[in-house]
Amino acid sequence: MLELLKHEVQYVALSIMGLVYILKVFWILRFKPMKERTPGRGMEKKAIIASFFCLAMPWTMESTRKKWYKWLEFAVFHIGIAIAIVASFLIPEAPGLMTAAVVTIFKIIIAMSFFIVLLRLGRRMFSPVNKLISHPDDYFSVAMMVIWFFVAFFAMDMNESHWQFPAYFAITAFLIAYVPFSKMSHYILWPFSRYYFGKHFGHRGTYPKVKGEL
Amino acid sequence: MSNRQKSEKAQKATDSFKNKMNRQAILSFGVCVHCGMCTESCHYYLATRDPKMAPAYKADRVRKLYKKYFDFAGRLLPKWVGGGELEKDEDLQELMDIVFGSCTMCRRCTFNCPMGVDKALLMRTGRAIIYEQGYAPQGVLDVAKDQWEIGNQMGISDEDYLETIEWLNEEIKSELDDDTAEIPLDKPNCNIVFAVNPREIKYAPMSLLAAAKIFHVAGESWTMSSTKGWDNTNFGLFAGDNKLGAHMGNLVYDTVEKLNGKMLVTSECGHGYRATVWEAPNWAARDLKFPMYSFLEIMVDYVKTGRIILDKTKNPVSVTYHDPCNLARSGGITEEPRFLLQQSVMDFREMYPNRADNFCCTGGGGAMSMSEYAKRRLESAKVKADQLKETGAGICATACHNCVDGLTDLIKFYKLGMKVNLVGELVADAIVWEKKPVIPVIEEVVEAHAPFTVMVIDDEPDVVTFLSTLFQDSGYNTLEATSAAEAFAWLKTAKPDLITLDLIMPGVSGLDIYKDLKTDGANRDIPVVVISGVNPENPGLYDMRKLQFEHSLPKPEGYVEKPIVKEELLMIIDKVLDHYKHKK
Ligand code: SF4
Ligand code: SF4
Repeated sequence: MLELLKHEVQYVALSIMGLVYILKVFWILRFKPMKERTPGRGMEKKAIIASFFCLAMPWTMESTRKKWYKWLEFAVFHIGIAIAIVASFLIPEAPGLMTAAVVTIFKIIIAMSFFIVLLRLGRRMFSPVNKLISHPDDYFSVAMMVIWFFVAFFAMDMNESHWQFPAYFAITAFLIAYVPFSKMSHYILWPFSRYYFGKHFGHRGTYPKVKGEL
Repeated sequence: MSNRQKSEKAQKATDSFKNKMNRQAILSFGVCVHCGMCTESCHYYLATRDPKMAPAYKADRVRKLYKKYFDFAGRLLPKWVGGGELEKDEDLQELMDIVFGSCTMCRRCTFNCPMGVDKALLMRTGRAIIYEQGYAPQGVLDVAKDQWEIGNQMGISDEDYLETIEWLNEEIKSELDDDTAEIPLDKPNCNIVFAVNPREIKYAPMSLLAAAKIFHVAGESWTMSSTKGWDNTNFGLFAGDNKLGAHMGNLVYDTVEKLNGKMLVTSECGHGYRATVWEAPNWAARDLKFPMYSFLEIMVDYVKTGRIILDKTKNPVSVTYHDPCNLARSGGITEEPRFLLQQSVMDFREMYPNRADNFCCTGGGGAMSMSEYAKRRLESAKVKADQLKETGAGICATACHNCVDGLTDLIKFYKLGMKVNLVGELVADAIVWEKKPVIPVIEEVVEAHAPFTVMVIDDEPDVVTFLSTLFQDSGYNTLEATSAAEAFAWLKTAKPDLITLDLIMPGVSGLDIYKDLKTDGANRDIPVVVISGVNPENPGLYDMRKLQFEHSLPKPEGYVEKPIVKEELLMIIDKVLDHYKHKK
């Protein structure tokens, strides 16, 4: 059973995710984009690149500049997700790479991510704005992350007798398959969205934000 | 609820929503992760701390349709992802309160969203689907109607337009002491075809006068249309009506082509620039052969090439600059006004935050025409008021007529004691022109005004005395009234040539007096110049537009904001009387 969870179930989940991702990309492309008929005033290409990198440049947005701790939470949390996913393939496929040092680093980041998602869940439940804009899918997705990071932390020890170990693989598979249907599907939409943001505002010369001389 | 149970309008709005989805829209609708990072970008939220003013919440009121009809999971389990329907007419009404009443489509939140969600696009989609069903603030419906039927947003007839231009021609000739100075109409093959905001014809001719002066001094070959095609504003942008947007764009573009102009230049109007230069070619599906610019860009060119010379000592008062949202976030114009102000005023100081980070004047998105939301608008203006106050400047310059109105309103409401000017007006004031302007000898002015009688109606005796003295010094005869009873008692025995009317008066208000005047056969042809201020208790109370609509009344002949600028008031009185004299 554990072997099934570590291998076949993961691949089935990945295939579902891949298939729905591809379908979603085709679905997005079915919609016609708005086109600008006027000659551009700014630098579209530069703006598109800047738009993609905005998350790596928290100083460029007032929201991330002022709430830098939220940006930090975001960064750590997303690295945590990447690590927890990578580990779910390294453990069964290349356990040799999971050296003591790697495990320690993974565990530290996963532990931090766990506390961050816990905090985010708390915010969704108690902060008036976040509460008002949250739907069941938002709560469910964050709650699943809390559980996932919790089990992932213990699973990094690769002790198959701990209940967290199979649970980690089961939840990973579930999340991978669930992602395209949930708010977590923003992974697919985000590159398109940032591309069009950069293209639109870059065309008009309002992005990247002007900070200088004429 | 099944489709059959929906009200007809709700069904039509839903169908329209489905048809409006394009790639950018589905991305902006779909990518929001409800992180709330955009919350504190919005002036409505910052001023009230009301969670329902958070941009994501407001966007979700429209997004629910996307979730229900387009989202993969939402089609099966709409509630799970926040999907929902428009079911009743009341739902449309409720949506109107959000998309028109609590968002100026300023795009400040858009620039602060890590995912790139364009909330203004979502709000405009929301506006579009309900506007098509007749759900929009009355002011928006009226203006849109005037643009469709008359070709400009203030319903100005060709006759009134031409008379104003004629009067402005006299002013510019006398100001520059140059008989060749004028606003040329329908002149073919010019370098510039100029399109303006109708406010410049109706209520704020000083800015058109300033532009005419700048063009003249620069030796520009320019012209304007003598009939439709001179209005650069476009309520298609605010109503979400692309057809109206295309119609207004086409009127201006056709004019440029008909006159064989080399370029189109829009006067200082944020949304007018955005709609004319960026949006309308898309709405009208037109690939234009001529370039389009803002008047700000043209002025910069004049200064840089020495076509106009500026003397900043002529503007000694400290000036700050408010970036109109449609120029800074949607139009790409931020440095030009700064350059011009640095050249034309002694003390220019930045406002913070600025450029694309600036806060809305709170009058954007058509908000100035939505009297029903005036209270909320002014409440949200606290953020802007704090920003203005911080600069300590005496004048707030801006490059948008709409912002002038929004800022003037909030400056009065928060008692900031600042003046608002357009950049072009300050540039015109700073222009170095060899011929000295001829100031007509007082006796001449007095003589010219002598046959006219102006009745001043204002509940404050000090104001009545001030205005009467001002008018008498200018040669007018005056009648004074501090109440409706006094005014109508006068009107039984005398017929003034013009009435200046204060709106905010205890008991019978100025609005009631206006209604009685304009429905009274004997007095209805007396021109009225409304002098208005904001009532801090209830800013939407003295709403002229609402009154006009409810009682089918004509627009007042003139409109002046308090605090009164003497020169402006006299200029408007002069213009109205001139017009009146011609009519008689
Ligand atoms: S619009 Fe953007 S910033 Fe606002 S809640 Fe959605 S994803 Fe977050
Ligand atoms: S577009 Fe402007 S007014 Fe509208 S929600 Fe965003 S920040 Fe607020």
